Amino acid sequence: MKGLAPLFLGIFGTFAFSWVGLTVIPNLQIGHLNPQMEEDGSDVYPQPQSGMVTRGARVYAANGCIYCHSQQVRADYAADDIERKWGDRRSAPRDYIFERPVFLGKMRMGQDIANIGARAPAEQENAPPGGAASPAASPTPQGGAPSPSVAPSGVTPSPSPAKAASPAPAAPPSGATASPSPAGSPATSLSPAGSPPAAAGSPAASPGSPAPKAPATPSPKAPPASPSPAAAANASPAAGAPWPVQTSGELPMYSAAWHHVHLFSPRSINVDSDMPSYRFLYQMRRISDAPSADALQLTGSDAPPEGWEVVPTFDAKCLVAYLMSLNQSHPLKEVRSAGPAAAPAQSSAAPSTSPAPAK
Amino acid sequence: MFYTSAMAWLILGTLLAGFVSFKLHAPDMFSDISFLTWGRVRPAHMNVMVYGWASMAGMGTAIWLMARLCRTVLRYPLLLVAGAGFWNLGVLLGVGGILLGDSTGYQWLEFPGYAAIVLFVAYTLIVSWAVLMFRFRRGEQIYITQWYLLGAFLWFPWLYAAGQLMLFVVPVQGVLQSAVGWWYANNLLFLWFGAIGLGTAYYMIPKVIGRPVYSYHLAAIGFWSYALFSSWTGMQRLVDGPFPAWMITASIAATILTIIPVATVGLNHHMTMQGYFPLMRYSPTLRFTVFGAMSYTVFSLLGVLISLRSVARYVNFTQASIAYSHLGLYAFFTMVIFGSMYYIVPRLIGREWRYASLIKLHFWASAYGIGLMTLMLLAGGFLQGADMENPSLAFSETTETVLPYLRGRSLAGILLTVSHFIFAYHFGLMLLGLGRQSTVPTFLNPVEAEGSEAHV
Repeated sequence: MKGLAPLFLGIFGTFAFSWVGLTVIPNLQIGHLNPQMEEDGSDVYPQPQSGMVTRGARVYAANGCIYCHSQQVRADYAADDIERKWGDRRSAPRDYIFERPVFLGKMRMGQDIANIGARAPAEQENAPPGGAASPAASPTPQGGAPSPSVAPSGVTPSPSPAKAASPAPAAPPSGATASPSPAGSPATSLSPAGSPPAAAGSPAASPGSPAPKAPATPSPKAPPASPSPAAAANASPAAGAPWPVQTSGELPMYSAAWHHVHLFSPRSINVDSDMPSYRFLYQMRRISDAPSADALQLTGSDAPPEGWEVVPTFDAKCLVAYLMSLNQSHPLKEVRSAGPAAAPAQSSAAPSTSPAPAK
Repeated sequence: MFYTSAMAWLILGTLLAGFVSFKLHAPDMFSDISFLTWGRVRPAHMNVMVYGWASMAGMGTAIWLMARLCRTVLRYPLLLVAGAGFWNLGVLLGVGGILLGDSTGYQWLEFPGYAAIVLFVAYTLIVSWAVLMFRFRRGEQIYITQWYLLGAFLWFPWLYAAGQLMLFVVPVQGVLQSAVGWWYANNLLFLWFGAIGLGTAYYMIPKVIGRPVYSYHLAAIGFWSYALFSSWTGMQRLVDGPFPAWMITASIAATILTIIPVATVGLNHHMTMQGYFPLMRYSPTLRFTVFGAMSYTVFSLLGVLISLRSVARYVNFTQASIAYSHLGLYAFFTMVIFGSMYYIVPRLIGREWRYASLIKLHFWASAYGIGLMTLMLLAGGFLQGADMENPSLAFSETTETVLPYLRGRSLAGILLTVSHFIFAYHFGLMLLGLGRQSTVPTFLNPVEAEGSEAHV
């Protein structure tokens, strides 16, 4: 080959072609998505992340969670992700518009956690048998009722006002984000209720628009096969847990308290787990006067010696807040949900049937 | 300079790799120490290997070849020295950053911003040197190797800049970050490492056996189709992810089309080697390079295989993709670079490798190591994927399926570690001037006559 010009041009040309084709054009196509909402501006999804969640995402990045956990649910025709109950619909670009970095992930040495927040115990919804009736209508009273559900929320960073004050940058609502729906708003309480502009939208949305929302929320989380055990006062969360794998001890699976114990000592929850423990995110300290509200409920060999307790650091709390915020259960107009869950926007009876195909 | 740094990084990277590998089946090891947690050591290992070892050694080879092929003496060495210094600093900063928890969370681009800037400065120095050299070249003909090298030198900064800008400076929205990330990663693999590796092979094979490349036309077809198709890959790693389907399909198609350059390059090398395969018994350079060139074919075909939707469904989230990366970066690229180092270092230092036995040992440990590792990861990955697509199995059963294979991988890792230490030791001897003073290069099975051909 002679002459430099054609070589140079060719080298630049081929690469420019690929660069434009795979990054610039897609950016025009899906690079500027907006959250979806109802015509009246309610029911906004997704919502911007709160301060704690954002920080939690950084902890997630720093410790390389992405190397074992993916966050993407493939469509039902493409894989068995939905059958594994990692979600009830495939992930779509719109699900990720507020995330940076996006942790799609490429490896599943651990489970897919795109919906780990949605899998958190939703005591309130399990309570009404059949779940169909009106989850949105009656969340609050039940919120406090089942005792196991109280325990976790007591441990989460959220409830104590003192905590909410400490993270200065984090908007107060972020506290609420972290907890597994203490107030009991159906699902959205898990999703980032964070930043002020949107905050108006979301809390309002849950009570405000029960009809369209109600069907959506229970479907992912409500254990399809187990309205009854759940209704049975949540006594044995393990039995009620719809998700396979682990045999949890006391804590409801995927509650914030469960996450803390799991991060601290994965094998105390599932002996077969190959997840490293993240003890450096926790602090062992002497109990000063009363045990802290957020001390980990550890048992067996993990339990701290008498008079000591293990408490999460702020990073750990943020990480769990982040995990609890992972929830793609809200239906998207452009994505067909699995089974009837797509149709249901109207009928509130849908949720009870929607998970049916899963079993 | 480049080589020495690269060696140091290679050893560090290997140790980190051993760590990572063991930790996967012994997850409690060192779990109390934050900067040794698996999720930090793994990216540290990968980045040390990619930017510390492979890039450094690749640039070393590329620079030497460039000077050779431009038929000039090396001008402006200061530029290079400064470049190497900055590059080392960048990698050091980056790895430190990752271990301290500053990782950015984008795979293949974990280096925090401050390290990326230093790397970029270093790279600018090096590439400006390359362009300068090119201006001073003598002779009209531009050899195939130079196409590839020039391509690599020009593609990399664009690629790196595009990756950095679109992810960190003016970040794109949502899933596009992943798209950019994987586009970057695959192009880095193909257009940077792949181009240097192929360019080197195009130089070493004909050079060592002393006969021209079989066909220039084939080479041209190979080069341009390579540039065109391989640059479009990347999205096939995200089959059925949350993207417009056309992006993924385009990448799958591009991956399949890379069969064309693979076939032409493979054919070209094979025809060049035709009748000279026995030389592999004597020349260490040839042995490593040919192994690498063959691995390139395997690597690409495997890439095609695992990008097909029906296969990706199973292997997408498994160890198989790790096998793919290792095949590309190690079996292909690193082996070619080893070969080139066996060729170049004696010519730089003026001494020959001291022990043929060590070279042999190095080769076999590397070859068996990487072979075993690839097989283990592939087999493990396919089984893992099959289990994962079987919802009646609990998830933890899928990971348990892989464990024995991961142990096998650790074994392979030990082999590789051994081979690297052997090489580093041998290399150290060379540096200290302890090589053999001889006009005859070191052959693996010294048989008189045959050798003279090899020494061109």
